[in-house]
Amino acid sequence: MPSDASQRAIYRAQLERYEKKKQKKDSGVVETTGRQSPDNDSDREALLDLPPDQRMGEFLKLSPEQQRSFLGNGKSERVEGFLQGLDPKQRETVMAIENPQQVVTSELIQARLLRAIYSQRQLEEVMTDFWLNHFNVFIGKGADRYLLTSYERDVIRPHALGKFEDLLVATARSPAMLFYLDNWMSVGTDSDFANGVREHVGRRGRHLRVRVNPAKGGKGKRHGLNENYGRELMELHTLGVNGGYTQKDVTEVARVFTGWTLKKPREGGSFTFDARMHERGEKKVLGHRIKENGEKEGLEILHILARHPSTAKFISTKLAVRFVSDDPPAALVQRMSETFLKKNGDIREVLKTMLASPEFWSSESYRAKVKTPLEFVVSSVRGCGAEVTDAAPLARQLQNLGMPLYGMQPPTGYSSKADAWVNSAALLGRMNFALAFSAGKVKGIQIEAENGPADSQDALAMLQNKLSLGNISQQTHDTILTQLQNVNRQKASDNGHEAQVIEGLLLGSPEFQRR
Amino acid sequence: MAITRRVFIRNSGLAVVGTAAVPSFLTRAAFGAPDPGRRSKRLVIIFQRGAADGLNIVVPHSEPAYYAMRPSINIPRTSVLDLDGMFGLHPALAPLMPLWKQRHLAMVHAAGSPDPTRSHFDAQDFMESGTPGLKTTYDGWLNRSLHSLPKSGQVSAFRAIALGPSLPRILSGSEPAIAVNNLSDFGLGGKNSPAATTFEAMYASSSDSILHGTGQETFEAMKMLKAADPAKYKPAAGAEYPRGRFGDSLRQLAQLIKANLGVQVAFADIGGWDHHVNEGNTQGQLANVLRDFASGLAALWIDLGDLAEDTVVVTMSEFGRTARENGNRGTDHGHANAMFIMGGPVKGGRVYGHWPGLGQSQLYEGRDLAVTTDFRRVLGEAVYQHLGNRALEQVFPGFDESSNGFLRYLG
Repeated sequence: MPSDASQRAIYRAQLERYEKKKQKKDSGVVETTGRQSPDNDSDREALLDLPPDQRMGEFLKLSPEQQRSFLGNGKSERVEGFLQGLDPKQRETVMAIENPQQVVTSELIQARLLRAIYSQRQLEEVMTDFWLNHFNVFIGKGADRYLLTSYERDVIRPHALGKFEDLLVATARSPAMLFYLDNWMSVGTDSDFANGVREHVGRRGRHLRVRVNPAKGGKGKRHGLNENYGRELMELHTLGVNGGYTQKDVTEVARVFTGWTLKKPREGGSFTFDARMHERGEKKVLGHRIKENGEKEGLEILHILARHPSTAKFISTKLAVRFVSDDPPAALVQRMSETFLKKNGDIREVLKTMLASPEFWSSESYRAKVKTPLEFVVSSVRGCGAEVTDAAPLARQLQNLGMPLYGMQPPTGYSSKADAWVNSAALLGRMNFALAFSAGKVKGIQIEAENGPADSQDALAMLQNKLSLGNISQQTHDTILTQLQNVNRQKASDNGHEAQVIEGLLLGSPEFQRR
Repeated sequence: MAITRRVFIRNSGLAVVGTAAVPSFLTRAAFGAPDPGRRSKRLVIIFQRGAADGLNIVVPHSEPAYYAMRPSINIPRTSVLDLDGMFGLHPALAPLMPLWKQRHLAMVHAAGSPDPTRSHFDAQDFMESGTPGLKTTYDGWLNRSLHSLPKSGQVSAFRAIALGPSLPRILSGSEPAIAVNNLSDFGLGGKNSPAATTFEAMYASSSDSILHGTGQETFEAMKMLKAADPAKYKPAAGAEYPRGRFGDSLRQLAQLIKANLGVQVAFADIGGWDHHVNEGNTQGQLANVLRDFASGLAALWIDLGDLAEDTVVVTMSEFGRTARENGNRGTDHGHANAMFIMGGPVKGGRVYGHWPGLGQSQLYEGRDLAVTTDFRRVLGEAVYQHLGNRALEQVFPGFDESSNGFLRYLG
C-alpha cells in the first residue's frame, strides 16, 4: 500500500471494488460489512462544516464502504456538495474513490469548459469546438471515453486552423474515430485474414502465401466489411449527403479502409495498418480507379475527398451557419468555397474570406444567431465575470440544457441552428439557469455581488453594458425596472441584491439568447 | 376469443347512461367533451432513432433465408414468440404479448420510406417531414396533422407535445407545440417568483421572431400545468415503467394525458438501435433496448387505463438494417422495417402488410428487405380515421394515395 494517505484510500477503494466483483461472480451474493457510515444527518453535516483540508482528512479515514455511503452512493448533488472548496488534487482523489471510471472523462469535460471560458485564443477555441462537433465522437461508446482526451489534444486542436486534409487524415487515423465508427474491425471479404492466409513471406521479391484454416477472427468478431466509417466519411465529414456519391461508393470506400485498425483497442491502442485485413484488388470510388496500394489507398481517397468541390461547399456552408446565420447568403458560401479550393483547404484562409466579407458585417447578420446551450452557459460566466472553482457542476447544467459535452451519440454532432435549441423546455431551462446562476446557486461558481449604482436605472445600464448586450429593447428594459420597483417596495433596497436580480433577468432575456 | 376492453365497449357502449358501473371514459365523453359526438382522440408517435433491426424484432421465422443470412445473430425458432406461424416477436418483447392476445396490438412489416437514402439524418428527416426526398419542407407532418384539423374552442397549450429536451422536426411548424423534458422542472424560479412574471412580460412583448412565440407557448403551458398538477397522477397499479429516458418520457406522457390537459398528438423517442457491431440475438444489445421499448409501451397501456381506448400509438424507425449480418456480428443500414400499432381502436392480433420475401432477387438492391408499405399509408390511416383529419394531401403532400389504400387496421 502506498504511504500517501490519498493514494492509499484510492487503492483501498479499488481493491474492495475488485473483491466485491469477484465475490459476486463466485457466489452471486455480496456481503455488506457491518460497519455503518456516519449516516445520520448531523454527523454528515458536521463533516461538511469542517474546513476543506480537515474535511478531506476525516473523509480519508473512513472505510471505502462508509465513503461511498457518505457520498450518497454516487448522487451527483451529494458529491458536488462535498467537493466544494477542495483543491483539484483532492477532488480527483474523491472522484477516483467514488467513480474511478469517470476521472478521465470528467477532467476532459471540465478542461474544455474552462478553456471555453478563460482561453485567450477564442477563435482557436471556437474552431476546436467546431471540428470536434464536425468529426463527432461520442464519449459514451466503450473505449472512446479514454481515447477522447488525446483526440481533442493531438488530432483536432493542432489542425483546428490548419489544412483540412491534414485534419481529415488525422481523424481517419485516430483511435477515437476508428473505434467510434467501427472501422478498426472492418475486414476485407477478399483479404488474407478472411481467406485464411497466415502471412506473406517475401523471398527474392516473390510473395509466398501460406494457407491455414480460414480465420475464425478474435472471438469471431473481426471477419467482414463494416460500412459505418465509409458512409459517414462522405456524408458527414467531407462531401455532404448530396455531395454526389452512391451506395456503391460507400462500399468501395469501406473496402479501401479495411486494415486501418488499432493495436489492442481496449488498452488505449494506437493506429496500425494491418495488411492482412486489407481487401485485395483495385477499387473504384467516385469514378477514380484506386490501384491496390495498401494503406496508401486510404490516403488517396482522403486526398480526393479533401479537394472535392462538394467538400469545399459543405464545409464552407457549415462554417457560415456557425458564424453568420442559420441561412447564410449563397454568395458568401460561394466565395468561401472558392477560397477553400484555391488554397487547398486552408481553414485559416477560408475564415479570412468570411471575416472580411460584407455579409459577415451586414446588419442582417448582427445577432442573427441564437446561442447554443454551450454558448449560453459560457457567455453567462464570462459576462458576469464569475470565477469557476469547479467546472463539474457547470458541466452538469450544460447537460440539463440538452448539450452534454462530447455527449452526442449519433455521428451528426450538434446542430448550431436555432430550431434545434429554441423550444419551451429549453427556454425554461435557460431562464432557470439564469436565476440560479446569478443568485450564486450553481455550485463551483463564485459570483461577486456587484455594488453598483444605487439608482436602478443606472445599475441596469451598467450591467447591460457588462453583458455586452448592446441595446436591449424598451420592453425588456421596462419590465425589468417594473419588477425592481415592486421588489424595492417590499424590502429595503440593497444594491447587491438588486444587481443580482438584474443579472438574472438579463441572462434570461430574449436579447441574451442571441449572439 | 379473448374478451377485450374494446369488445366490451362495443357491446355496451351505447346503453350506459344511468348504469352504476359506467366506465369513466364514457361519462367523460358524455359530459365533458365540447363535441359530444367525438371523444378526444390522441395519436402518440414513438420514434426508434438509429434504425431498428426490424428483422430481429418481428422475426420471419418461417423463412429459411433469414437463418441462412444471419448465422450468428438470428433468433432461433425455439425462442421467438410466435404470432401467426410466419412471424414471431423477439423474446424481449414478451411484455407486449398480452396486448397482442387482447388484439390491441398489430404490426406492419416491410414498411418504410420510398427514398433510398441510408443516411440516419436524412431518413429521419424525411420520416418526420413526411415528404421523402424533399428537403425543403420546413414543418413536420405531426404538426400539419393538427393544422388541417377542425378546431373546437380553446386550443390547449398541451395539444402537441414532445417528451424530451428539444422539439423534434416532426412537431415543428405553425401549430403551437411544446417540448417537455421533465415535468417537475417545468416551472420558473420557485413559488410565486416575481421573475416568472417579468420573463413572461419580456417574451410576450419581444419582437424576436423566434423567441417570442416559443416564449408565449412556454408561459401558457406553465400556468396550465400548475393548475392541473399532473404530479398527483401516479402510475396505475401494475404499470412499471423501465428506468431511463424512454420510461420517464412515457410515464410523464401518461401523467399529462391523465391530467386532462388536452393532449392530441404526442411524440417520444428512444435511441440506441444502431447495432453495427455485436448486435446479439436473444440476449445482447438489441435485446436490452427492446426490453425497455416493450416494457415502456406495456406500462403506458396499463397506466392509461380507460384512456387507452382513445389512444393510438404508432412506432417508426428511419430504416431497417441489412438482411445479412455484417462482418462484426452486427447489421448495416438497410431499407424496410416493422412498425407497431397499439391502442383501443386498433384491430390487433395481426401482422399487416405484404411480405416481400428474403430471396436474393426479392431483396432491395440485393441486400435489404424491400418496402411494400409506404410509411405514410400507415400514418395516414391514423391521421384520417383516428384524429379525423380528412385533408391528407396537406399532411402528406405529394403522397397521392386515397383512403382506399389504407390497411384498415383501425376498422
